[in-house]
Amino acid sequence: MRRVRPALAAGAIAALTALTVSGCGSDGLSAPRLQDSISSTFAHLYVLQQAEQGNPQPSLRSLHSHASCQRGTPGTAQDGPGTWLCLITYYVAGPAYPVVAKYKVDVQTDGCYAADGDGPASVNGSTTITGPHYRQLVNPLSLVDGCFDYT
Amino acid sequence: MTLAAGRWPAAVPPAGAAPQRSGTLVVYRMELAKLSRQIRVRTIAVCAVIGPFLVVAGFHVQNATPGDTAFGQWVHTSGFAIPMVILGFAAQWIIPGLTALVAGDIFSAEDHFGTWKTVLTRSRSRSQFFTGKFLAAVSYGLALAVILIVTDLLAGLLAGTQPVVALGGQLVPAGHAATLEVLSYASEIPPLLAFTAVGIMLSVLTRSSVAGIGGVIALTFVLQVVTLIDLPGWLQVALPSTPFLAWHGFWEQPAFCTAFWWGLVTSAAWFVVCGGVSWWVFRRRTIGVAA
Repeated sequence: MRRVRPALAAGAIAALTALTVSGCGSDGLSAPRLQDSISSTFAHLYVLQQAEQGNPQPSLRSLHSHASCQRGTPGTAQDGPGTWLCLITYYVAGPAYPVVAKYKVDVQTDGCYAADGDGPASVNGSTTITGPHYRQLVNPLSLVDGCFDYT
Repeated sequence: MTLAAGRWPAAVPPAGAAPQRSGTLVVYRMELAKLSRQIRVRTIAVCAVIGPFLVVAGFHVQNATPGDTAFGQWVHTSGFAIPMVILGFAAQWIIPGLTALVAGDIFSAEDHFGTWKTVLTRSRSRSQFFTGKFLAAVSYGLALAVILIVTDLLAGLLAGTQPVVALGGQLVPAGHAATLEVLSYASEIPPLLAFTAVGIMLSVLTRSSVAGIGGVIALTFVLQVVTLIDLPGWLQVALPSTPFLAWHGFWEQPAFCTAFWWGLVTSAAWFVVCGGVSWWVFRRRTIGVAA
């Protein structure tokens, strides 16, 4: 009996700490977090795509990629898991020529998402791209997987 | 004969005898010896060793990719993607199930065979039995984790060591990828031990191996459904299955470990609470009354 109580007390304290502390300061699966994550991941993958196609590689910084994500209709709460629509804007030919890539994004409760390319077809429409010597390679932009910190 | 709680005969070492090995250690070794001879444990070990290689072979002979899971589209590009796909699939239900096959049975087997009366009248105390069996189940879980880390990494290396595209879109070179892979698998150990404790608790509470093993497997399925629901943040973090997903953060750019640290707290809480309940019940249980 004497040895049981400390164990139980320690367990209760640990459980309580886990419950209370984790409830604080969390704004979860929000649009800004998703936008930051997907635009950065997209930029990395765009550079990779250009490299694999044998094109000149743009620098990450020069792309100035940023995203705007919306969940459901504007009336829907703009946080939580489910299907989001993201428009990623980036610049390959100077600030006057923005390109917008569209993605249908399935966000899971653990902060991970799978984004399915929805155009333009030349960027993310096909699952494969043609590399040097006509090699067929995985198109990194067709399906974009990523995660962000939701805690 | 009835051994009411708290009134079992204490072990008295014979005067002048050579110093005995710790009773807990004796129980622990006996349990490990028993485990290593079980067909079930041997089968799991063999499956854990050859399973990853079978998966690699399976991917090798076909063109399709498991595109709906993280790293899935890269399985033909880099060998480092394959263990991560396996982890993505297996983490939430295979790992708890495998550890429960031992943990959910280790106490209730004695009930099943009616051997508590026999073992507890030996010169080992109830706490020594509890600690020894608990540690044996934990050791089995750890051994399983180590086997999985090694075999999955080797199977992946066999498939190729090209740089892998991580979750931040960045290309990770082989050396760093191997490190991240080992870290990702190692991050499964705390939740694995939490589920080991859940299995032990069910085994002690129900005195039934079916409930001990099946209970954990049922719990993992329930948790998998619950994970689909948009829960409040604190509840999500408190679920024992959430820490299995913490490894995703290691592969981000920049990497984040907050999910892992929370997972550590959650796993520790489940481990301590379930272990504590098991001990509390086991210590007070009356053993030997005809059922």
